Amino acid sequence: MVRTRTTTRTAAVQVTALAAASALALSACGGGSGPSAEAAPVATDRDIELSLVWWGDDDRASRYEEAVELFEAEYPNIDVQTQFQAWDDYWTARTTEAAGQTLPDVFQMDLAYIHQYASNNQLLDLSSQAGINLETEGLDETLLASGSLEGGQFGIPTSTNTLGIMYHQDLLDEVGIDPPAEGLTWDEYDSWIREVSEAGADSDPQIYGGTDYTGTLWLFIQWLIQQGKTPFGDDGMPAFEESDLVAWVERTQPLRDDGVFFPIERVKQVEPLTGMQVGQAATEMSWDNMLAGYSAGAESENLDLLPLPTGDDGSAQFWKPSMLLSASSTTEEPDAAATLINFLVTDPEVGQIFGTSKGVPAVAAQRDAMEIADGSIDDKIVTYEDEVAERVTADTPLPVEGYGVVEAEFKRLGEELAYGNVTAEEFAAQWFQYAESNLGGS
Amino acid sequence: MSATTTERDGPGGRGPGGNGTARGATTASSPARGGTAKPPRSRADTRAGYAFLSPWLLGFGLLTAGPMLMSLYLAFTDYNLFRAPEFVGIDNFTALFADPRFLKSAQVTAIYVLVGVPVKLAAALAVAMLLNAKHRGQGAYRSMFYAPSLIGASVSVAIVWRAMFIDDGIADRVQQFFGLPAGGWVGDPSMTMPMMILLAVWQFGAPMVIFLAGLKQIPAELLEAAAVDGAGPIRRFVSVTIPMLSPVLFFNLLLETIGAFQVFSSAFIISGGTGGPADSTLFYTFYLYIKGFTEFRMGYASAMAWVLVLVVGIITAVLFRTSRAWVHYTGDQR
Repeated sequence: MVRTRTTTRTAAVQVTALAAASALALSACGGGSGPSAEAAPVATDRDIELSLVWWGDDDRASRYEEAVELFEAEYPNIDVQTQFQAWDDYWTARTTEAAGQTLPDVFQMDLAYIHQYASNNQLLDLSSQAGINLETEGLDETLLASGSLEGGQFGIPTSTNTLGIMYHQDLLDEVGIDPPAEGLTWDEYDSWIREVSEAGADSDPQIYGGTDYTGTLWLFIQWLIQQGKTPFGDDGMPAFEESDLVAWVERTQPLRDDGVFFPIERVKQVEPLTGMQVGQAATEMSWDNMLAGYSAGAESENLDLLPLPTGDDGSAQFWKPSMLLSASSTTEEPDAAATLINFLVTDPEVGQIFGTSKGVPAVAAQRDAMEIADGSIDDKIVTYEDEVAERVTADTPLPVEGYGVVEAEFKRLGEELAYGNVTAEEFAAQWFQYAESNLGGS
Repeated sequence: MSATTTERDGPGGRGPGGNGTARGATTASSPARGGTAKPPRSRADTRAGYAFLSPWLLGFGLLTAGPMLMSLYLAFTDYNLFRAPEFVGIDNFTALFADPRFLKSAQVTAIYVLVGVPVKLAAALAVAMLLNAKHRGQGAYRSMFYAPSLIGASVSVAIVWRAMFIDDGIADRVQQFFGLPAGGWVGDPSMTMPMMILLAVWQFGAPMVIFLAGLKQIPAELLEAAAVDGAGPIRRFVSVTIPMLSPVLFFNLLLETIGAFQVFSSAFIISGGTGGPADSTLFYTFYLYIKGFTEFRMGYASAMAWVLVLVVGIITAVLFRTSRAWVHYTGDQR
């Protein structure tokens, strides 16, 4: 199961009448249109203070501090004030600041929220900074598109990730079963899980083939795309049918009925760790950059990645920006803010500092600067992204407004399902009802 | 607030323990009924009084009353923090009662209050009775029994509590020792409520101290007279101790009930911020938090807050009303 931080991530820059929306937001909030001055090269003759905020743990904080020191050395007149929170608190704090027009100058952004912030006129349009303080040439077009809405560039992707199956070789050695075959189908993967759980029943602690993945919205979306369906429409509402969701839930029901998955009671008890991290689940599907965290949790280097199971349309995996950097529309220093974003996204030394901890860097200069030891976790992630590139045939599903909360609801219903409190039909009906009142800015 | 009630609240609410409740109520009742016992206050005094109160009044107005009024307004709007509030009438309130998770949270909270409060008060009274007996080193025992309450509300205790009831935790091992089915409580939706109630009961220190003070106020001669008349310990407890203790009991019942409705942090930590497993720890205030600060539906959350205020208000009023039938103040004719 994907961990909280990633599960709250999301999909899709859908295109709405942004102009109308911003006009509305403007009249409502009374300002926040941002400085109207033309973009100019960042000033070097006066002191500038910037605030920089991100979500993450202590490890990320020390990497950021190091990167900021480099930045301040290069721009001695700019002083960067930093702050960070955990994922959930991060969004509570940002939303409160947005309401008070006091967002930080530069802050980490996620696909799950960019639509909401941009369409409410909270973010600086960085397109005017391109070529002046911001170099976007090194970025992949489709990747850059994930940060743009209605012609404006509201976020710059720092790094990419894609979904994969992680497996724990130590556990597989114990039960004497090979990792799943590359390119297997979802049904074959389920059979494989069953085989491992049966072989691992007598181990102490018991070993399971995998964790119930039904409640992970991203995986459902991936499965939909593999069948040639579109997850969300231009209106920001689900473009699939309730029956699609019922089919998704029902296909894993036999495994739940037979107790093949790592049990939900244990899932809840080991949180925030996962079944794989406590050495009881041999595989779990998640974002590839999570491998480092999984490896640390499992206290083993013998974890590796495989492509997702395939459907009728093949693997149809997609790249997703693991995070973006945005500037506030209320910043008094748009030039300096763009300069800081540019430095963090493109500077080779910064790439070296972060490694793959935020995902694989979006810009080649940063990717090439990483010092990767053979067989290290960084190496496995980079190798995986190289290998999986040919399977990446789908466009990034564009984020819809409100994705974050419907994703959390999907996960919650997945737990109810695992406890046997709801049927597949109830799961689908309840989620659709929730989605209708929470998606599309309603 | 009249001077009479202020006097009554003073010793009752903030005095050393609760021994003031009974005494404060008693002494306060005479001037209140006399009505003329008070010297008139000069205007200058009144002004000076308000001047001294002003820091508190300002804080109350700006930080409590103002936001409360604002939330009353927001309860009738659709507000996501980004866009200006949009007036929607009573839509939020009607939506509440059609929301299965809202009803679930009300149910979870009701069970917690209805079971947790009586059990906690019983535990507090039982320990107070034990500590009221004369033994060597009672002072030390009292401090020890009070200690959980000092640290009980803290985050660290909730974390420790979770660790105790996780599988292979202390509770699990004790269960296994007695041959009971193993498995932690944390992941089992039917066991999380007992776990939450145990945590509340374990923090019986505050009502216990108040009970203890109340017990000390009961004149020994009443109990002796009852004993001479042939009343056994149970009879003495039911017919003398309980009626004499009723003002203190009422005070504790009121405070604990209101407190129980507001439980939040322990559930937040034990469930890892989800209200899970399967919504079994989705307390009312927790769901309110989720609506307001996770889904950013501030209007909905404000409506929930006002429903809670209303419900707690009604329950308090009902308790006060019924208290006339069972609470005896010394000096009353009942």
